[in-house]
Amino acid sequence: MDRLFHKFLRARKIPSTACSGCGLGQVHKRVLLALERLDLGPDDVVWGTGIGCAGRQTFNTWRGDNFAGTHGRVYAIAAGLRVALGPGKKIVLTAGDGDAFGIGLKHLLNCARRNVDMTVVVADNLGYQSTGGQFGITTPRGSVTDSSPYGLNEPGWLGGGLDVLEILKAAGATYLARHLSLDGASSVESLVMALENPGFSLVHFIYPCVTHFGAVTLGERDKGKILGSFRAMFAGGGKGGPTDRDDGRGGETDGGGRKDPGPQAGSGPVSGDPAFRLKRGTYHDGRGLRPEFAASLIAWTKNVREGAGR
Amino acid sequence: MLRLFDTGNRSVTEAAILCGLNFYSGYPITPATEIAENMSRRLPLAGGYYVQGEDETAALHMAVGASLGGMRAMTSTSGPGYVLYADPYGWAIGGEIPVVILNAQRVGPVSGITGAPGQGEFYLSRYPTHGGNFETIVLAPEGVREAFAMTVEAFRLSERFRTPVTILADQLVTDGWEAFEVPETREELESLGLPLPDRASHPGPDFYPDNTLIDVPPVVLGRGTGGACSDWTPTREGYDTEEIGEQMRHARRLVGKVLDNRGLIDRSESVCLDDDPRLVLVSYGSPSRTVRRAVREARARGLKVGAVRLRSLWPFQDKLFQAPGRDHLVVELNCDGQLVREVSRASGREARFLGRCGELPKVSELLEAVTLLLDGKKIDGGYWAEKHGGVFR
Ligand code: SF4
Repeated sequence: MDRLFHKFLRARKIPSTACSGCGLGQVHKRVLLALERLDLGPDDVVWGTGIGCAGRQTFNTWRGDNFAGTHGRVYAIAAGLRVALGPGKKIVLTAGDGDAFGIGLKHLLNCARRNVDMTVVVADNLGYQSTGGQFGITTPRGSVTDSSPYGLNEPGWLGGGLDVLEILKAAGATYLARHLSLDGASSVESLVMALENPGFSLVHFIYPCVTHFGAVTLGERDKGKILGSFRAMFAGGGKGGPTDRDDGRGGETDGGGRKDPGPQAGSGPVSGDPAFRLKRGTYHDGRGLRPEFAASLIAWTKNVREGAGR
Repeated sequence: MLRLFDTGNRSVTEAAILCGLNFYSGYPITPATEIAENMSRRLPLAGGYYVQGEDETAALHMAVGASLGGMRAMTSTSGPGYVLYADPYGWAIGGEIPVVILNAQRVGPVSGITGAPGQGEFYLSRYPTHGGNFETIVLAPEGVREAFAMTVEAFRLSERFRTPVTILADQLVTDGWEAFEVPETREELESLGLPLPDRASHPGPDFYPDNTLIDVPPVVLGRGTGGACSDWTPTREGYDTEEIGEQMRHARRLVGKVLDNRGLIDRSESVCLDDDPRLVLVSYGSPSRTVRRAVREARARGLKVGAVRLRSLWPFQDKLFQAPGRDHLVVELNCDGQLVREVSRASGREARFLGRCGELPKVSELLEAVTLLLDGKKIDGGYWAEKHGGVFR
């Protein structure tokens, strides 16, 4: 990290104020490695951040230009900024699951629809952790959190046949990938593809929050062990979690006929999901298939002006 | 000068384009939709970009984002959209980013009547976002021609103070038709202070200095300054902080840069105030036009009345209401009485109130009210009248 630090980051903010053992640093590092691979420096990238651990811990760490948006709106700010910047500069946004998939989803989807050139890195800690550990949009059903003390009684977008990346794909995103924060070379590879895409890219990292999701929901503070649980939880077999004892209560079936375990009141800390298989790597690659928003707006406007001049 | 006969929506569009507007993000809403339509037609021809947000929250965020990238940006709406601006409005205030916002007020509450004028966002324009610790700049045109000039002033103030400026219009201003003139020659443009100087960028990476100076360029991203801009409380260098001292410093700059330079913002028009009339009618926006006529007619009948028309609303111009021995009758397009509360506070005396919902008061109604008040009689009306000696019909 030393080399990356000197090249890309500001002394004032590093080390960050993230809890010790948090997986956020892993995600941050992968992004820097991808930028290095592409030979992009502080002058080439404008870095924006959302609200929550993922945003706050990365805000103004970048040696170049930085901005932090209101909760869930950084995507809309970036769309306007994209037009002003013109092609050439990269926009990297680091945000959390609540910011991107919760409060900000409408703006995120519309950036995907317009194919606005930006790379959104969603660092997903499976809930609202900066506020103390409440369940969120991707928290697995059944999870015990500070706001679901009897287990979470609603589906997340990473289970029950639901996948938030599928929504983004349908909305028009041209590059999507998913990783665990421990994925090294493969996740850097995905980020490189995302950054190269002249359009809307999103790389989804699931990372361990040791302080809340880890400690409260999984009963585990060790980053490595939490990542191990993730692999079990999202392996599609629900290994080790209470929900592989599917007792038929509640439960919906997804398109594949697999059963959503449904809520498991008081059934335990971990919810494996037999209906969700975590596929690590590229999720959707539509790079270059659709026109980019700002570039096409600029060209379109130029045509209108020239047409009127003739 | 090019003489046009058109709506306020059109005059605002033409003025914004002359100000070098290069980014307009709209969202359709009556009665401001025509500004968006005019922009979509005119702006591309003038070298600017028209985009449409997925909602008003996005529209203003996009405008602020474009401004953050160095563009001159604007959006417009009516009450239901103005309230959705709360998020980006605060962001632009805190990040100190210029942007111009027009609100064509329609009658409320809530969605109300889309095609009737109202003045329900007087206080909302003072507090368009949460958190306090800021001042807003709000201008109020009374008609199509003034909306043109005020749009130019709004852009200039927004750039100089690096903050959002609201043009608080109403449906009669934006939908109304009137002749107005668009400058064409260099001399004509210069007489309006046009063109506006190009946006300089704050040198960065430091945030704004610890003072209340204006004409300090805003942060512009993408120019390699290492600038930073956020909704957090910034340290001197622009880092987010939880330090109370830094928060005080930030608040002091946001409030002070407006109040310490308010001479550049304050605008009003006086009608027949020279001989210190006993009763002064107070208004802003389109009702001012009937008020002015009523005052002139009252004068012709020998009644000692005058009028103050506020051309800028915030910061509030207390000193206009502090001449001794004057009573005030505040005329507004609402029945809850908003401006009247500020006039009462500023003058230290309970002001009278005449409110109408969705249409202008008639000159004859104003004359009747003035005559009664000067005779020491009460003017009839409902709840507010009982409390404040005003009339609401
Ligand atoms: S609360 Fe969780 S996600 Fe946030 S910094 Fe601490 S460990 Fe990381």
